[in-house]
Amino acid sequence: MKIKFKIRRYNPVDTEASEPYIQAYMCEVPEGMTVLEALLKIADEQDPTLSFRKSCRSAICGSCAVSINGFSKLACNTQVIPEFKKAGEMLIEPLANHTPLKDLIVDFVPFWRKMEKVSPYLTPAEGESAPAVTPEDEERVDRSQRCIMCGCCNAECNSLAIDENFIAPAALAKAWRIVGDVREGNARRRLHRLSEEHGMWDCVRCVHCTQYCPKDVAPLKAIEELRSSAMKEGITDNPGAKHVEAMRDSVERFGRLDEAAMTFKTLGFLRSLGMIPFGLRMEKHGKLPRPHIFAQIEELDEVKKIYEESERRAKEEKRELASRKKGW
Amino acid sequence: MVIHDIVIIGGGLAGMRAAIEASRAGLDAAIVSKIYPVRSHSVAAQGGINAALKDTDSWENHAFDTVKGSDYLGDQDAIELLCKEAPFDIMELEKMGAIFSRDPEGRIAQRPFGGAGYPRTCYLADRTGHALLHVMYEQLVKHEVVLYDEWHVVKVVVEDGTARGVIALELSTGKLHRLHSKAVLIATGGYGRVFRTTTNALSSTGDGMGLALDAGAELMDMEFVQFHPTVLKRTGILMTEGCRGEGGYLLNSKGERFMSRYAPKVQELASRDVVSRAEQTEIEEGRGVDGCVLLDLRHLGADKINRKLPQIRSLAINFAGVDPVEKPIPVKPGAHYSMGGIRTDFDGATTVPGLYAAGECACVSVHGANRLGGNSLLEAIVFGRRAGIGVSNFSESNGLLPFPATALKEAAFEVADITKRDSGESPAALREEMAGVMEAHSGIFRDRTRLTDGLRKLRDIRERFKGVALTDRGDYYNNELLQVIELAQMLKISEAILLGAVEREESRGSHFRTDFPLRNDKDWMKHTLVSLKDGEMKLGYKAVTVTKFQPQERKY
Amino acid sequence: MVEVELRYAYYPGCASQEMTKEANETTRLVCQRLGIALHDMPKANCCGAGLLTDYDYQLYLALNARIFAEAEAMEMDIMTICSTCLMVMSTANRDLKADPKLLEKTNEILSTAGLRYNGTINVKQLLWVLAGDYGLDNLKKKVVKPLNWIKAAPFYGCHSLRPSDALGFDDPEKPWSLDAVIAALGGEAVQYKGKTKCCGFQVDLVAPETAEKMTAVRLLDGKEKGANAFVTPCPFCHINLDNYQGLAEKRVSQKISMPVFHLSQLVGLALGLTAEEMGLSRHLVSPEKILK
Ligand SMILES: Cc1cc2nc3c(=O)[nH]c(=O)nc-3n(C[C@H](O)[C@H](O)[C@H](O)COP(=O)(O)OP(=O)(O)OC[C@H]3O[C@@H](n4cnc5c(N)ncnc54)[C@H](O)[C@@H]3O)c2cc1C
Ligand code: SF4
Ligand code: SF4
Ligand code: FES
Repeated sequence: MKIKFKIRRYNPVDTEASEPYIQAYMCEVPEGMTVLEALLKIADEQDPTLSFRKSCRSAICGSCAVSINGFSKLACNTQVIPEFKKAGEMLIEPLANHTPLKDLIVDFVPFWRKMEKVSPYLTPAEGESAPAVTPEDEERVDRSQRCIMCGCCNAECNSLAIDENFIAPAALAKAWRIVGDVREGNARRRLHRLSEEHGMWDCVRCVHCTQYCPKDVAPLKAIEELRSSAMKEGITDNPGAKHVEAMRDSVERFGRLDEAAMTFKTLGFLRSLGMIPFGLRMEKHGKLPRPHIFAQIEELDEVKKIYEESERRAKEEKRELASRKKGW
Repeated sequence: MVIHDIVIIGGGLAGMRAAIEASRAGLDAAIVSKIYPVRSHSVAAQGGINAALKDTDSWENHAFDTVKGSDYLGDQDAIELLCKEAPFDIMELEKMGAIFSRDPEGRIAQRPFGGAGYPRTCYLADRTGHALLHVMYEQLVKHEVVLYDEWHVVKVVVEDGTARGVIALELSTGKLHRLHSKAVLIATGGYGRVFRTTTNALSSTGDGMGLALDAGAELMDMEFVQFHPTVLKRTGILMTEGCRGEGGYLLNSKGERFMSRYAPKVQELASRDVVSRAEQTEIEEGRGVDGCVLLDLRHLGADKINRKLPQIRSLAINFAGVDPVEKPIPVKPGAHYSMGGIRTDFDGATTVPGLYAAGECACVSVHGANRLGGNSLLEAIVFGRRAGIGVSNFSESNGLLPFPATALKEAAFEVADITKRDSGESPAALREEMAGVMEAHSGIFRDRTRLTDGLRKLRDIRERFKGVALTDRGDYYNNELLQVIELAQMLKISEAILLGAVEREESRGSHFRTDFPLRNDKDWMKHTLVSLKDGEMKLGYKAVTVTKFQPQERKY
Repeated sequence: MVEVELRYAYYPGCASQEMTKEANETTRLVCQRLGIALHDMPKANCCGAGLLTDYDYQLYLALNARIFAEAEAMEMDIMTICSTCLMVMSTANRDLKADPKLLEKTNEILSTAGLRYNGTINVKQLLWVLAGDYGLDNLKKKVVKPLNWIKAAPFYGCHSLRPSDALGFDDPEKPWSLDAVIAALGGEAVQYKGKTKCCGFQVDLVAPETAEKMTAVRLLDGKEKGANAFVTPCPFCHINLDNYQGLAEKRVSQKISMPVFHLSQLVGLALGLTAEEMGLSRHLVSPEKILK
């Protein structure tokens, strides 16, 4: 099948064409051919100036992530024909949310800097011997350690698109790989750092990272794990955790997002008048009006029992883990 | 010019492991890597890493299996070291942060592997190499090792017989840089790409072996190339041995389970070299299917395939467009691993003072004529560590010698010589031709005629290579220029493989001569050495070290 | 053709019971007109809006299982009109259905309240009911006032599309359902990049700058492609796109003035219901100027 590849070209030092443009190539594609193979074929047979990253060609080294018809994918595990049939075209561009350097090659330095920022290495408790790792311990961090650092998640991250300082999903998945490791000795300190501005609470839960991760890492799940670990450690002195706490209380008391909804609504109302600082200040001082005009749900005591039992279990788990860590 | 105590070429498992050791010794080590470290091909290793951990196993058993696997060409003192130190390194990896898969008791689980008399392969699901490489990268960040990533080393600089540093091309600018150091360590991995069908990455072009030859070091046992029997045709992606382990069949175009003719007892489960040779025979005698044989898993049923071989199913679907539940997978043998490499001692030292090597590019030799699965990750870790210590000791006891003034100019001249040519053959086409020649003439079946024909064709390509010209005239991420630089090294490696193979008139391990189908211990218990003298390759030999295990017939 | 009566356990979600009341009220009206029976769930608690997942995963599962248990007792699938509720419930449901051990553990917690969930419920959204169970052809037949005046930017938002392995109805890369409903109502769907992206709702309070910029980018994107209105199946998206449009405008110093409809309002208008009945006066950005 002959398919037209539209590839975004870019070479800022080219004096004749220093702006990005789309170049089309016709390429004969047999059944099963991947986008990476097609790119290699185009580079070999038609245009050796075409630049892109690649290495393992088996979806494990993380080199070849590009945007294919508008979504971030590994070129090496995307088959051309089904993709073309679905999208109706074959448009290949550099990853979004990353600065293009040449053709499909983007600047990965910010990606690595974000990784480094979460201190991506185990720091076991000083002077103690390592605890035995159980199959459950392994499972807890298993998904996060499948990451191949391809950048698809960051490229799709809606929060990163707006705030380039956002730590972003790939580094957060890595952070959970370490924080979630039973042998880690500085989980608390790490969670504190992750709770800072541009940290884990700035994720808008758009689920793009989880959807587009080619290795099923589910970064959003890692973010949820980190957040709930922080909450359990009592690291709640930030708007993100406060928001969750308000929700937790509201559902326990009313079965609904009532009080919090009111907080919300009032805050929201003030915000729409451009009075956010005022509203936040009132919130801090607990002076915000909290009318309970909301009907409670029926059989609210069921909810209370569920809370009691869940929290009892959570406490038990925490105690167990702590005693295991002490026992090292 | 930048100055470091040690320059390490390559950020794979071996290179990073060495860098960490140097950093622990308080030295300033820098890694120069043509791809970012976590992209290195160590990442693709699936199966696992061997170590005798259990009371009922012993390092001696591990050593015996390795010696036997090597078809008695491995140096037994080196193998003893490898196997003795393996358990320590596994524990070290866990301390660094790796979590090996557990058995129900919470101990490190171990699986059986081909050629091993005991289940001693530790693993992380089917992503062992990936997990280890990423843990090593974490340690690299922790130790704040200086990294020059996407820098391609084009030359190891040697003056008066000692290594002085390297010259590297920075891909993002096209500039050549000098890196001056007391010692250099090469850890550039395998050369699978000299063959057309290979399980190796696009970046596995064996650069370091070529660099070492140029620097005056010796290559050893280059004729030994491991072919894996089940790889996907177009992409060369590996279909693990587990497919056959779970009961998969190999069929020819007539639908016959042809292995019954080659290995009536174990059929598909015969050793890698036997199966590869059988497949090749079927294909060459016209019973192949479009250059392949068929790996049939259908009779296992969707359920078993999903449970035991999920990764294989998705690889086959994503990379060959075949769902093994419905259709057999076309497979063929493909180049997988290079037993040979840069000759080193146990501490990674080559024959050139100040030049070290470790990992797949090196040859200590622990794999001899055939490597066992699970032993090469181990080699990268054990000898990566040892070479890290070796190179650290060297740079502690030796000062910084001057960097030759003309080295940069010479390298720049060589690059300019390529970029300035107005017209000539395309490097891509020449690369394809070379890979085809190697596959046809230096593959699974070898004989004097095939090999010498291959050598002739290769030398012809080498001549024509002097006239290749680039289409890409930019100096900024110029992939075509890199290809030419890589091709220059691959041509040297190919020649070394062919030369060694022509002369070795016996069949041993992966090296099978139809004109000399038997192993010949009387004449060939020796390693092949290749060196470069005045631009010509010279062969030499060195006796194999035998300690505990006298050669026996290799039967499984 | 045999008319199958459609009936659902109706879960409006917290937001549309208070802040975006009009979404709930118009959904009821519209479903009545279409003959879709909505049965109230008087016991149903909040799904957690994603926030409880950040607190305690097991608690989140148990609270959602409680909702499912009520629907199971009613012998009906759930229909919601909130994409976030849809995503939150579907994700819990996926996890519970996929892992019998997890379901058992969750049921142990539920049992303290005398409840049990057997894993038999499906969760849907009004959009899916219209485009799927009810059917576009049937919908077309009910249209009395085709929306030939609208050039609507379909705003799917995040949670009606992703994670697709839990939701499974539409294609997150090439979503069609909202486009198709707009077309069935006689309107025109405008194509723009942001239609599958995020409104920013989750960080309105946590990172307002990010949220406001995000909202602005989405609205401007649709506007540039010629939309005269936005339509969304989700009340949270509506809050950001409409209520906070003023803040978004301020943040990017640009006037946007883009009316935003709830899906149910658009359907109602096409069925011949009035602007008052559709509660349009509750919107901060008035759609009056484009209404016909
Ligand atoms: C598909 C597959 C599966 C395998 N499975 C197993 C297994 O289960 N068990 C096992 O023990 N072994 C396995 N192996 C073998 C094993 O993975 C390798 O031998 C080992 O990982 C090699 O590590 P390395 O550090 O030597 O090289 P690599 O990991 O290949 O690293 C090479 C490094 O050198 C750099 N480099 C190369 N050239 C240059 C240059 N010119 N300038 C700068 N940098 C350069 C690269 O950037 C890279 O960082 C497998 C191999 C393959 C291909
Ligand atoms: S869910 Fe959060 S981290 Fe993931 S892509 Fe969306 S905003 Fe980014
Ligand atoms: S989490 Fe997934 S998408 Fe993100 S970098 Fe890792 S592998 Fe890639
Ligand atoms: S080339 Fe390695 S992930 Fe695609």
